[in-house]
Amino acid sequence: MEKKQKLLLGLTSTPMILIYVMAVFCLIAALRQPAFLSPATLINLCRAGIFTMCFAICEMVVIISGGIDVSFPAIGCVAMYVPMWLYNHDMGVDSVFFFFGVAMLIGLVFGILNGVLVSFLKLPPLIATLATSSVASGGLIMLLGTREYTSLPPSLDALYSVNLITFTDPATGFKYPLTILILVPVFLCIIVALIMKYTMLGRGLYAIGGDKNAARVAGFNVIVLQFIAYIFCSVMASATAMIYTTLMHSSTTTALMGEEMIIIAACVVGGCRLTGGHGSVGGTILGVLLITLVRNNLNMLGIPTSWQTFAVGLVLLLGAVLSSIQARRIEKMGKI
Amino acid sequence: MANEVFLKLSGIKKSFGGVHALRGVDLEIRRGEIHCLAGENGCGKSTLIKAISGVHEPDEGTIWIDGEEMKHMKPMDAIGKGIQVIYQDFAVFPNLTVAENIALNGELKNKSKFVSWRDVHEVAARAMSQVGANIDPDVRLERLSVANKQLVAICRAIVNDAKLLILDEPTTALTAREVEKLWAIIRSLKEKGIAIMIVNHKLDEIYQIADRLTILRNGAYISSGDISEYDQARFTRDMTGHDIVEDKYAPEKSSEEVLRVEHLSRKGSFEDVSFTMYRGDVLGITGLLGSGRGEIGEALFGLAPADSGTIVLNGRTITIKSVSDAIANEIGYVPEDRLTQGLFMDRSIQDNTIAASIRAYMKGGKLDEKGMEDATNRWIKEIDIKAPSPKPAVRTLSGGNAQKVVIAKWLNTNPKLFILDGPTVGVDIGAKAEIHAILHDLAAKGIGIIVISDDLPELVQNCNRILVMKDGRCTGIIDNSIDEVSLGKMLIGA
Amino acid sequence: MNNQKAGTARRLPDTHILTIIGLMALVLIMMLFLQPGNYFSLKNARSMIYQFPEYGILAFGMMVCMIAGGIDLSLVGIMNFTGVIAALIVKHMVPAEGGPMTAAAIILAVAAAIVIGCACGAFNGFIIGYFHIPAMLVTLCGLQLYTGLAYGITGGPAINGMCDAFKAISNGSIAGIPYVLFIFIAVFLLVTFVMKSTVFGHEIYFLGSNARASRYSGINTLKVTIMTHAFSGILGGISGILITSHLNSAKSSNGSTYTLLTLLIVVLGGVHPDGGKGKVLGVTLSTILLQLIANAFGLLHMDDNAKTFVNGCMLVAALLLDVYLDKRAAKRN
Repeated sequence: MEKKQKLLLGLTSTPMILIYVMAVFCLIAALRQPAFLSPATLINLCRAGIFTMCFAICEMVVIISGGIDVSFPAIGCVAMYVPMWLYNHDMGVDSVFFFFGVAMLIGLVFGILNGVLVSFLKLPPLIATLATSSVASGGLIMLLGTREYTSLPPSLDALYSVNLITFTDPATGFKYPLTILILVPVFLCIIVALIMKYTMLGRGLYAIGGDKNAARVAGFNVIVLQFIAYIFCSVMASATAMIYTTLMHSSTTTALMGEEMIIIAACVVGGCRLTGGHGSVGGTILGVLLITLVRNNLNMLGIPTSWQTFAVGLVLLLGAVLSSIQARRIEKMGKI
Repeated sequence: MANEVFLKLSGIKKSFGGVHALRGVDLEIRRGEIHCLAGENGCGKSTLIKAISGVHEPDEGTIWIDGEEMKHMKPMDAIGKGIQVIYQDFAVFPNLTVAENIALNGELKNKSKFVSWRDVHEVAARAMSQVGANIDPDVRLERLSVANKQLVAICRAIVNDAKLLILDEPTTALTAREVEKLWAIIRSLKEKGIAIMIVNHKLDEIYQIADRLTILRNGAYISSGDISEYDQARFTRDMTGHDIVEDKYAPEKSSEEVLRVEHLSRKGSFEDVSFTMYRGDVLGITGLLGSGRGEIGEALFGLAPADSGTIVLNGRTITIKSVSDAIANEIGYVPEDRLTQGLFMDRSIQDNTIAASIRAYMKGGKLDEKGMEDATNRWIKEIDIKAPSPKPAVRTLSGGNAQKVVIAKWLNTNPKLFILDGPTVGVDIGAKAEIHAILHDLAAKGIGIIVISDDLPELVQNCNRILVMKDGRCTGIIDNSIDEVSLGKMLIGA
Repeated sequence: MNNQKAGTARRLPDTHILTIIGLMALVLIMMLFLQPGNYFSLKNARSMIYQFPEYGILAFGMMVCMIAGGIDLSLVGIMNFTGVIAALIVKHMVPAEGGPMTAAAIILAVAAAIVIGCACGAFNGFIIGYFHIPAMLVTLCGLQLYTGLAYGITGGPAINGMCDAFKAISNGSIAGIPYVLFIFIAVFLLVTFVMKSTVFGHEIYFLGSNARASRYSGINTLKVTIMTHAFSGILGGISGILITSHLNSAKSSNGSTYTLLTLLIVVLGGVHPDGGKGKVLGVTLSTILLQLIANAFGLLHMDDNAKTFVNGCMLVAALLLDVYLDKRAAKRN
């Protein structure tokens, strides 16, 4: 009896439901467009998912710690724009380390700002990071102006041309290269998963997300832990923004704005609770996969791409409602 | 070893902004004893715990732990000395598993950087076998019952090598069976030489478990000694500063029926409860936690409606399926937890007073500001709420006055039936008597008053009839000629 | 709320309102030195009045939700969605030759915007109240949904070229006074009345101060949550009409900075992010203060992005003021 119940619970758990939804999505897409079932789709999906995945992991860490960060797109924009601006004004060296170093340094500065506002001054995280966002974005354009850098410095261009594998479509002869930068989200996921599970740092983040007061009584340093979450988020988001510039050949002051919606959607769909303490790397990966699938392959279902925003909203809504229903179901099962 | 003193306090004084919370407290706790700290609410028990655990530094006085004088003690020092406090909310993590909750503090104490899940499970299993707990270590804590959460908190405390375990009101949220189990665990810990201090104010429970007793009143040390030195009279006198009052509530007999409840049931809460109240009656409902005593009140007020049964109020049969049904039928309800369920702490006395009756002040499409203010002023005068005007926020009031505001909120709806769950919890003695007088006045006016409480002396003195609940069933309705000790025995079914 | 004012025994005027008035005076004095001619002109005053009502009304919506203990991040989405609907109605139903049908079509457009705004808000409120999902998440999701609807309907490009009568709503004036000022004052009076003199308004405050105690006092919390967000949605619909008329264009991405701006207005105006506290007057004054600042920036030829930067800084400062005031109040008790 108990085994049966456990099996049923497993089959109707949130991750499994995500997998069903994705399977159905792919099935319909494949039936409508047989071309969907080709390595090319997979490679495109991977390429499109690189940034979403990295950003989502950053956001996940903050959400688990009981906060939220909506400032990373703006911070990312500063981090991708400033190094290019410096380089184009002859103030930088042409080195991958320089670009990524400057980007991450910028991330660090804004991460500290977020950390001070949220953990030290105890401001509501949403409003505080929204303020950081406008400070970053407004300040950037005010000081450095707005233009688009579309040509990469040679060092980044070299990075861009390194591919893991290249798939050539036998029918059309199109080439689909898979960039080496795909390894960044892969390693990031592995490392963050290990940290969250096997270090006191990770468990501390879960602990403060679950109950701040209990964490304080137990002897966790709540302020430091929150600081780490926000700094990690900003620094990694900045590095991700630099990857974006490399892959997209573009660096503008507004490229990433609005991205926070999709990222938060991916986290929530993947099982993070905005109240903190819940969420996992595995779930977030599923959430990102679903969102990326919906974003990039809507037309495969015969829905015009102009409905993409709406579709993402719908996925987020259903994800939120689903997790609420799941929580209620577990509550109904009674206390033990 | 048994008589060796582990913790000694002498002349502890502590004040907050001119308010003396502790005015010279002495306390001695020996190894391997179960020591009860008793006192009415607001006597300084929680401040004393915080002084012992290093959260508050006392203004004056000395603390010796294990014979060593402690100066400027911090929480970590106290933990290092083996003092573990289990607070009423347990301070556990709802989102983490049982095993992790038990082992996490130890890992923190060792300053380890990494988590070995094998160790975590081992530690948890060891701790659970020590106290005889049997909980699935991989279940998230949010799924546990209160009793099991408490077990986890106890496991966590002994993992950290506790020498003195302090439990703050550990039985308030436990059912009778769970209390028995807790006592068994505590006795087994005592066998292991751990000193235990229990904060409690229920005489029957203290007799069951304590070896020695210390009583505080109003922040001052009153008396201390072996449990055998205390009889009921001395206990009450030391607790309250008064002798037992013998005048019990006795209304004039009346045959005018106010409320009749027949075969009221709610699945999983209570079954087949019937009673009748006449004009002037104050009905007490008591029972241990989980006996269904509070659930009857919630059902009558529509918070958790009954599945079946009839309710006849003033000769009219009514159905209550929601709170609005209850209010439409002129029923008022003072909830158990004043702070989170009863009051809007940051709103004014006026807002709180009219919260349940605001619709009555809609006049000509507009709220009648003056009417609301007048009504509030009237209640301030009538039930003697100590406040300069209707405007200050309720947060600024004392417990007793805040409770009067909750009462005023419902009186302002002109209730025909008034249910109060724990009406005098956290209320000082003076205000307590005033609240009881208000209730007796109302009963005399023909309003049905139901007092739900586990404070047996209060019930015996202030209700003329008492309904006893056990395991969801009514085991008897008795008049108040019973004394509280026999009533206490009835509760556990002895 | 006069009972707020008397929270302290000595009946001090509200600190937030005093701060805002002080800041207004500061801005005016600064401009007196920097740009006396341009700033203190009738023309400038009029240009300011044309601008602030659309986001001022939006800020009232944010205020209502925040007092109820939530937040409404979907307001900009509602504004653009209703704006698109109104624009479509005006474009398709107003006959080219004018006539009485014009008025009917415009009234229909306005009514549609308000009804749809109300429905969007009620939907938010239902999801929040029924499923117990944080308002922040639900309205974030609502923002995406309503923006997505607007985008899906228009397919991307803006709807332009509304008839003159519709444009006049936000751009016309009578005796030199813009219509929008009257609309704003009407909305201000309505919101003040609702918050101060109706049961619903009081229930919003109760819900925001203690949701559980509200339930235990017989307040139907689901109903009040739905009504609160529906009210906010109606205000979003009104803003949708104003901005569409003002810009003579409706698209999904108009007013994208308004979320931050309304949050800033509301927090600066003394609404507590945890709910239960806040006054209509404070929010109104802070709307006007921000317009004064924005206008000063414009006249000094400062970049628009400088405004974003300053707004962000001010938001933090306003929150810090709140923290400070809370601490001081706590100490006094």
